[in-house]
Amino acid sequence: MQRHVFPALIALVTAWAPAAIAQTQGQGQGIRFGKEVPAIASGSWQGPRLADGQPDVQGHWSNTIANHNNWTDPQAGAPGEPSRAAALPRDQRAPSRVSDPADGQVPYLPAARALQEDFARNFSNPTKPKYIEPLARCAPAGVPKSFIWHGYEIRQYPGYVLLLFNSGTRIIRLDGSPHLPDAIKLWNADSRGHWEGNTLVVEVTNNNGKALFGRTGDFASENVKIVERYVFDNDGKRYNYVATFTDPTVYSRSWTATIPARRYTEADPPDDGWHYEASVANRPGKPVLHERMERICVENNGPFGGGAVGVPLDHPVIDR
Amino acid sequence: MIRLFAKAAVAGLLAAALGAPAFAQTAPIPRLASGKPDFSGIWQTLSEADYDLEPHAGRRDAPPSPGVIEGGTIPYLPQALAQKRSNFEARGKDDPRLKCWALGVPRSVYYPAPFQIFQRDRDLTLVHQFGHQVRTIHTNETLHPTETDEGFWLGDSRGRWEGDTLVVDVTDFNEETWLDRAGDYHSDALHVVERWRFVDPDTIAYSATLDDKKVFSRPWTVDVLLHRRRDKNFQLIEDYCFTLEYEQYYPHKDGE
Repeated sequence: MQRHVFPALIALVTAWAPAAIAQTQGQGQGIRFGKEVPAIASGSWQGPRLADGQPDVQGHWSNTIANHNNWTDPQAGAPGEPSRAAALPRDQRAPSRVSDPADGQVPYLPAARALQEDFARNFSNPTKPKYIEPLARCAPAGVPKSFIWHGYEIRQYPGYVLLLFNSGTRIIRLDGSPHLPDAIKLWNADSRGHWEGNTLVVEVTNNNGKALFGRTGDFASENVKIVERYVFDNDGKRYNYVATFTDPTVYSRSWTATIPARRYTEADPPDDGWHYEASVANRPGKPVLHERMERICVENNGPFGGGAVGVPLDHPVIDR
Repeated sequence: MIRLFAKAAVAGLLAAALGAPAFAQTAPIPRLASGKPDFSGIWQTLSEADYDLEPHAGRRDAPPSPGVIEGGTIPYLPQALAQKRSNFEARGKDDPRLKCWALGVPRSVYYPAPFQIFQRDRDLTLVHQFGHQVRTIHTNETLHPTETDEGFWLGDSRGRWEGDTLVVDVTDFNEETWLDRAGDYHSDALHVVERWRFVDPDTIAYSATLDDKKVFSRPWTVDVLLHRRRDKNFQLIEDYCFTLEYEQYYPHKDGE
């Protein structure tokens, strides 16, 4: 285990943001983010298809705006840890991920807003376990945070879309089968999807609400129902993740988030440390091929970042 | 499909002619469009392999089993055998599974929880219900990496087809995982060769030959059957049990 201590220490002395680790690794390119959210219309799919008829969107993808530091002001930095861009006028940073309502704010009920703000106030100096962002404990990033946490890979099969994230996996069934029973609540929820032209539509239930949306503490409860629309551009280079959240116990109305993403391919440098954690396959004499790296969080890192206590490393957590 | 059924029928006739049990060949095995066997589905062992690979009587924490090792026991080097015995004594707290950590290879295959295989021509993806282990077995004629910074929890898996048998060479391991709940273990010199073969459309014969010159005196082989989970409405349900101690604090809760 000795060799794993080093990355954890890096995180402790630089910042308590896991992304800081990634920025110091790889080829030094850090995280490259833009400000724009391109419009991609739902419509027909003109691109390649798989044998079972699904649009072929397999490959590596990552969001183009920011990591999970801040849900509604994505490039402003985490609470208490403002980025340099935070000093600029608001319109010089990427817009809120909340695309509806128009004010860019999550329409919380008052009690829920108080909980979110309490988390944000305590994030940079957590004095209770609940103020530790769960991803810093290597929890699965959940829905929707997985889409703003490192690059990820989409693999497709007859009847399935498989999402392989940095922290956690989602199996989206396309077979019209019923959701899991209500009593089962999960970090990555339960997904049933279907294709409408260029758009993968996924109904997400059975969410345990625990993953949070990022370091600002934005959240849903276990009552949330999410309808995701993955709208793929016909050029195959981009897609927008557009998700509508309905949870009467937390929000005063349904609201929608938009997260733009772009594809990464062999034309991009592999192992850039954040968006594209791929390595070059060993196949001498053949064209360059990239492949996904092993993703193992808690075993390699334990808790990372100041205050991320409570991750058991030396005693059992199950007795089965 | 006509061609494939015809092929299976011929194989059945051949098996009958050779005196092998013909019933094992009557149902055609699933195949990809490429003709390769299609292992897609949810699989699980019925064996007691994960409790203890070696023959053992029932005890408090393990049901009895004749063992799943060809030849009966694991050929440990003398010092390694002492380590295994020490692991066995401490198994109630030191087994990495108890922290819900990645089980590695081959243990993840015969751990008694379901896993789902997703298969394309270029690879097989094994998503395990327990913990967060996802393994890719590459079947695109790529080779092991020439250099790695440190070993992998799951090793590096490169597969090839020998007829209808998928043969997977797994190397580049770290030394963190165990082989079962009885403290059987390996070093970072572990080299595994897996063989995956349909016995019938709902049963896979799985074997893994383990070589590790730091721990074993010779290679040895585990054999188990994997059964397709066909229960009504069965699906994998995530089991990220490494979160169990802290999940009580979310979202925005003071804990229990």
